[in-house]
Amino acid sequence: MNRSSKILRYVAKRLIQGIPIILAIVVMNFFLLNLAEGDAVDVLAGEAGSATPEYMEEMRKKFGLDKPLPVQLAVYLKNVVQLDLGRSHRHDMPVTELIVDRLWPTLLLMTSTIMLAVGFGILLGLFAAINLNTWKDAMISVFALITYATPLFWVGLMMIILFSIKNDWFPTSGMENSAAFYEGFDRVKDIAHHLVLPTITLSLFYLALYTRMMRASMLEQYGQDYVITARAKGLTERRITFVHVLRNALLPVVTMAGVQVGALIGGSVIVESVFAWPGLGMLAFESLFARDLNLLLGIFLLSSVLVVAVNLVVDIIYCFLDPRIEVN
Amino acid sequence: MNSFWNRFSRNKSAVLGLFILGLVVFMASIAGLIYPDDPFLYSRFPLSGPGVNGFLLGSDSIGRDVASGIAHGAKTSLLIGLIATLAAVFIGVIFGAFAGYYGGLVDDVLMRITEVFQTIPSFVFAILLVAIMKPSIESVVIAITVVSWPAVARLVRGEFLALKNREFVQACHTLGMGDVRIMMAEILPNCLSPIIVIGSLMVATAILIESGLAFLGLGDPNVMSWGFQISDGRSMLRVAWWICTFPGIAILITVLAINLVGEGLNDALNPRLRERN
Amino acid sequence: MKLSNFMSTVMMTAAIAFGGAAALAQSAGGSLVFLVQPEPPTMAGYVSTSGPIGLLGPKIYDGLFDYDNDGKMVPVLAESVDVSEDGKTVTFNLRKGVTWHDGKPFTSADVQFTIMEVLKKVHPRGPNSFKEVNSIDTPDAHTAVFNLGNPAPYMLRALSAYESPMVPKHLLEGQDIKSAKLANNPVGTGPFKFTEWKKGQYIRLDKNESYWKEGRPYIDRIVGRFIPDASTRAAAMEKGEVLYAAYNAVSNVEAVRLNKEKDNISVTTDGYSMINPMALIEFNTKEGPFTNAVVRRAISTAIDRQYMIDTIFFGYGNPATSALSSNFAATGLHAEMPHYPATGDIAAANQMLDDAGYKKDSDGVRMKAMFDLIPYGEDWKRGGQYIQQVLGEIGIDVELRYEDVPTWLKRVYHNYDFDMNLNYFYQLSDPVLGVHRHYGTNMIRKGTHFVNSSRYSNAGLDALLGAGMKEPNAENRSAIYMEIQKILARDMPVVNLFELEFLTVYNTKLKGAYGSSMGAYSSFADAYLD
Repeated sequence: MNRSSKILRYVAKRLIQGIPIILAIVVMNFFLLNLAEGDAVDVLAGEAGSATPEYMEEMRKKFGLDKPLPVQLAVYLKNVVQLDLGRSHRHDMPVTELIVDRLWPTLLLMTSTIMLAVGFGILLGLFAAINLNTWKDAMISVFALITYATPLFWVGLMMIILFSIKNDWFPTSGMENSAAFYEGFDRVKDIAHHLVLPTITLSLFYLALYTRMMRASMLEQYGQDYVITARAKGLTERRITFVHVLRNALLPVVTMAGVQVGALIGGSVIVESVFAWPGLGMLAFESLFARDLNLLLGIFLLSSVLVVAVNLVVDIIYCFLDPRIEVN
Repeated sequence: MNSFWNRFSRNKSAVLGLFILGLVVFMASIAGLIYPDDPFLYSRFPLSGPGVNGFLLGSDSIGRDVASGIAHGAKTSLLIGLIATLAAVFIGVIFGAFAGYYGGLVDDVLMRITEVFQTIPSFVFAILLVAIMKPSIESVVIAITVVSWPAVARLVRGEFLALKNREFVQACHTLGMGDVRIMMAEILPNCLSPIIVIGSLMVATAILIESGLAFLGLGDPNVMSWGFQISDGRSMLRVAWWICTFPGIAILITVLAINLVGEGLNDALNPRLRERN
Repeated sequence: MKLSNFMSTVMMTAAIAFGGAAALAQSAGGSLVFLVQPEPPTMAGYVSTSGPIGLLGPKIYDGLFDYDNDGKMVPVLAESVDVSEDGKTVTFNLRKGVTWHDGKPFTSADVQFTIMEVLKKVHPRGPNSFKEVNSIDTPDAHTAVFNLGNPAPYMLRALSAYESPMVPKHLLEGQDIKSAKLANNPVGTGPFKFTEWKKGQYIRLDKNESYWKEGRPYIDRIVGRFIPDASTRAAAMEKGEVLYAAYNAVSNVEAVRLNKEKDNISVTTDGYSMINPMALIEFNTKEGPFTNAVVRRAISTAIDRQYMIDTIFFGYGNPATSALSSNFAATGLHAEMPHYPATGDIAAANQMLDDAGYKKDSDGVRMKAMFDLIPYGEDWKRGGQYIQQVLGEIGIDVELRYEDVPTWLKRVYHNYDFDMNLNYFYQLSDPVLGVHRHYGTNMIRKGTHFVNSSRYSNAGLDALLGAGMKEPNAENRSAIYMEIQKILARDMPVVNLFELEFLTVYNTKLKGAYGSSMGAYSSFADAYLD
């Protein structure tokens, strides 16, 4: 069997394996959520001020919440197979519409965060590896650890105080200027402007991971035979580092970044909360406390599909980049 | 053991981390002696700054002693981190060991289950678990465990896959040892180092997750923890910075120390990663 | 892009934003961005009295009347109202020439439909407010005659845009009102028209050019922004990104700071007299440790109300002195009662429990209890932790429970699975509307939220509540409520803690938005940016 048809078979196998995983996630979350006391109607009635039990029963009936759980699950699964995620009872809107609305702000924040964290992580890791076991190496690892260990919301609030209030450089929160409502390219600039603080905050958290990984990856490569060969050939350390080692060391780091993008689809509840960024994390958080089951299940479903897909894509890319890796 | 300590102590920052961690543990264990009162005890001196009215690190809005909270909270935070990690390692080792050792269908099933938990956005999932079980120390520990164990399972599976065909395992088979005994008594001790490393880092992550949950209002209102202090004080950051800054620093230092120790362990246990050859 | 380039772009952007907002006094538009917290589920103010809907709804929908800061009725969609001698016929003369945002005329048929088909049927409080309304006649397009079974003076206090918004018959008739499209695409007669709802970000309303009031509204656009984190909300207020924050959207501690530090930010407690919020503890009087009224009185005696106000709410609030808010004093319905010490008396409380035979064990514990806390944020958690300590001092060992909203609602109002519950209630503009639901036997309704969860039942009290509802004479009414307060101070199924004072934090640039006693729940037609 040749390589490309091997890869095709591998993709097919992975896709088939992904289906039960996603199904299991839906079923598990469905029952977990139903373990919780109260439902969407309780929350709506509680917020409304008051409602009679009869009225609430009527609403439950309308939402289909009066049926036995297995029936509700079957209905849900049937709809999901037809790519229909149902309606959000709370927002009285199709779940798909609500999720798509939040998906692109989430992707925006997450990709910019990963890019920033990976970029700086690679630089710092490289620098640390070159200066192995010197004070520079130690400083970098302590710096990375501090950024990782400082609670995110504290960093976020400090960013707002320093760069938005003390210095009027960035807006405090939100995704757009809601007094001006820019259009066209101005809007792009406006959104980019709002993106800066949340991106920096969130990327600080991931910086440590990539720095550490890059450093370890560099060291691993230095130990490989080809480096010894290169040295024997009389190549300069500089050339060895930047031409040979660096290239190979990047591979696992970039892979990790890909996997992270998948995992980050769920959003970051804390950063979204602090910066009022309209991402999926806050939506999931709010829908949990509103018992907006369809919406929450939809978010879980979508993010797990994306994680499975991204992992697959990363693996395939990996196969192409490094022909030594066996597909099996 | 001696050679291990020699390798470990060559890493100065790891030794420093161990020292700091020791201090935190010491503080947690004597919290009841230096601050015998309930850390939730209010006083008539709200929002006193550090050093004012006899509060070393200040008091919060209903006059509770921040320093007392940090001392008592150390115990909670460390316990949460430790118990959640032990539980996660326990589950992860079982899953990983069986999957790696038996392979085939067992591996497939166990790994699919692991993937299910890895695929769910973990922090949101932790929030969900705590909300459903009602916010308490137990539910926070369970939630952290549930989102942490898959990483251990994957790691252990990999180690078992690599080790199960080694000669010493084959020898055990010939001696007629049972599978479980081979797994737990023979293979497992050989992959302890990476487990210890990942476990040490997990304690730190658990402490961070606890503070994140508390930030979102999902802490146990009956138990003093650093996360609680931060969530209680954060809305007053501009007026009384000390309420949430000191516990924040406590978290920072502890997580930092644990990470340094973890790195030190890594270096000491996997020496080949450290040196250029 | 280099950072310096980027920064200059940023500066430019900011300049445009501020330049655009500059406006001439009382005439030229501008945008009012204010805080809406939390994001509302829908904008159906006619089925939900949810707070965030109240912030936006009255800008879109008008009521028949508004109420000024002295409580006087201000004509809105009704130009005047006549009450017959016997109080059973109430005639509203409606404003002419009013149109809905879709251009259709507003008529008496809309009023009839709104009251009879919407508010009386699906509104949380409407069935109470309009309980006595048997039918509404519409002799012509601009007259609505309400036929009442009994006099209902309190009804005239419930006609604001927040409490009873007038909704378009032509968009609701023949539909299931609870799920009508109108909920997310509101069409009213109010000064602002709904334009856009960006979920997770903002709701945008634009000026209604054909508003019935000449020259109003002044402002071109109102944007309600959602910011989940309290500290960030305060920061946005400080920076001037938002100009108005009501219902403690900016926490008290930050409000006090901003008021002190910033010249352009002020704070007011006006605009909440119709809401009249009261912090309280509900007790389970049927099961558990608090079936004996003595214990409940002891708890009321022990708690230092002033301390809670000073430390948790930063001085805003008044200690409760009775089951009724002191805001009812104006109508003679309030009197100070025993067992309501402002600063708490631990010794007296201990004495009460000793006398009643509750012995302390070797750990100083008389009884154990579970204390549920309203899951509305850190203030309440802090309050619960304070009370936990105080109750410890009188030998009641309390464990706190802080669950999420649906779990808590179910526990307290459906399963009755609680001992004591920290909560707050709106006493509203009349005890009939806000207080009766707490104590009447007919208000023990399993599964209905915010009613008599104590399951307290007293036939004598029920009779008095019934009489208080119908009594038109102020003096007699005062006597009835005096009796009611005495009974409740003795039995204490609910211990009132303090009258909350909500805060509105505003940028002084925003003017003319403070004339209604509905406060943030008013239309902002007269608001303008300086």
